[in-house]
Amino acid sequence: MDIMISGLRRRFGRVEALRGVDLEVPGGMFGLLGTNGAGKTTLMRILAGVLSPTGGRVLVGGHDLTTRAGRLAVQRRLGYLPQDLGLYPDLTTQEFLDYIGLLKGLDDDTARRRQIGELLDMVGLADVAGRRLKGFSGGMRRRVGIAQALLGDPALVVVDEPTAGLDPEERIRFRTLLAGIAGHRTVLLSTHIVEDVAQTCQEAAVMAAGRVVFTGPVTGIIDRAQGATWEVVTQGPPPATGVVVSAVGRPGGTHYRVVSPTRPDPAAVPVQPSLEEGYVALMREAVPS
Amino acid sequence: MRSRFAAVCRYEFRMQVRKRSLWVSTVGLAVLIAVAQGDRGPRHLPAGTSAAEVMGSWALLFSMLLPIGFGMVLADRLVRDHRIGAASLLASLPTRPGALVAGKYAGSVAATAVPGLLVLLVTAAGEFAHRGDLTLFGWAVAAFAVVLLPGLAFVAAFALVCPLVVSAPLFRVLFAGYWFWGNMLGPAYLPSLTGTLLTPIGDYPASWLMGEKALYAGDSGWLSFLRPEPGGGAALLSVVLLAVLASLPLAFAGPLIARRTSS
Ligand SMILES: Nc1ncnc2c1ncn2[C@@H]1O[C@H](COP(=O)(O)OP(=O)(O)OP(=O)(O)O)[C@@H](O)[C@H]1O
Ligand SMILES: [Mg+2]
Repeated sequence: MDIMISGLRRRFGRVEALRGVDLEVPGGMFGLLGTNGAGKTTLMRILAGVLSPTGGRVLVGGHDLTTRAGRLAVQRRLGYLPQDLGLYPDLTTQEFLDYIGLLKGLDDDTARRRQIGELLDMVGLADVAGRRLKGFSGGMRRRVGIAQALLGDPALVVVDEPTAGLDPEERIRFRTLLAGIAGHRTVLLSTHIVEDVAQTCQEAAVMAAGRVVFTGPVTGIIDRAQGATWEVVTQGPPPATGVVVSAVGRPGGTHYRVVSPTRPDPAAVPVQPSLEEGYVALMREAVPS
Repeated sequence: MRSRFAAVCRYEFRMQVRKRSLWVSTVGLAVLIAVAQGDRGPRHLPAGTSAAEVMGSWALLFSMLLPIGFGMVLADRLVRDHRIGAASLLASLPTRPGALVAGKYAGSVAATAVPGLLVLLVTAAGEFAHRGDLTLFGWAVAAFAVVLLPGLAFVAAFALVCPLVVSAPLFRVLFAGYWFWGNMLGPAYLPSLTGTLLTPIGDYPASWLMGEKALYAGDSGWLSFLRPEPGGGAALLSVVLLAVLASLPLAFAGPLIARRTSS
């Protein structure tokens, strides 16, 4: 299901969380990057039909999310993993998935159980299917979260920072799993972790302060730092201009990588930027400090 | 739609019935009542007393205190979705808020009823040991259904919904205060709902079972039109009125939850 958003606004009291968002999301896996408070969660909650917009238009698969009927139509084909999803501690994994499956309208008992079994295998929780959710680790909870999102074979999957707080291996497993399911659906992934987007998405958007400041192929983000990424080796203080992205201490001096539109130091040499450096360059343009 | 309601009901039942505080508070209060009652309590009813009166008296006695525990353990059932962090997920599912609220209400009331009913059945077994009357068990179920259950259903509606407006701890304090004022404070001392048809303690139904005034049912006082002579009709009217009153907060629950989720 493709998503078409235009002029989307959402206000909470005096805070304007979304200030006119325009975005088109085609099928496949799509990354949503942005600073804390940029409005990613607000946008995703609107897409999930949890929040109503204050203004603007959102069409998902042709359904208008500002109407009740449109929201219901989208929700029937939606998988949503909210940021900070809480699970009922006194249910087992199996029971929790069964509950959510029923609420999604999977009324056929046999089909629902089979699907739950398949998903438990897929996320590697089959062994603990009968255990109460109470004692689950962060990674296990996130896997239950993605399993519930995939119940009912949704056409649109919205996942809000699913990899935050996971150890590197778990994070890689998780994002690979997400990429694996994106073949025949739209998966919208929000994250702070640029690397997750680099490894899994062809297309991405970047949000800052309630607006979309970039949308396009992920390589387009890298291009923003083209000709503006430098390496400086010095034994003195770090370069005063630009944003230091990395600093590695070595015997001959500290190697700094700096994003700066101008040469930050006479000794600086231009280097090929990474996605993270592209992101930093983009953020400097979007929200000048 | 019906199957969604049934699903919510089933799982809310499981979660509530697994809650240890439900069992601890119900059994604890029941044991306290059974042991600490004075010599006018049902334990001391003379031999030959009808089974209906014996179980009606027990039910009324339990009904004085058990619902306080019920109110306390039900107070988190709706608000906890927000506290736990499940509210956004629930709101994103193609299930109407009405089905969620109704299912949560029915499931948690049914689960809370389980220890209440067991307490009465165990009591019936105790009475059976020296009265030898098998109908005690039937009357235990009947007394549960007309004395304890309507009060539980009434208390549950407010316990689920009020914490959406005030905090759950504040609700618990207000609720305990209300319980003594509205059920046990004699109408002769201060204007109160005690002894009216709106008393969830089951005064009227218990009076009907016992064949005499159980507590304050029908005593003269404030709002005299709500204080008819006790009897079968008055007992039925009391149960119906409590059910109507219970539906009021429930009607507001859906919008209150939606407002919370979307702000
Ligand atoms: N329910 C709410 N009530 C009031 N303000 C809110 C609410 N939800 C979001 N906001 C505000 O809207 C802005 C955007 O928040 P949002 O959670 O959408 O950002 P985000 O991009 O998801 O941030 P993060 O990366 O930290 O999760 C913030 O300023 C936030 O404080
Ligand atoms: Mg967020």
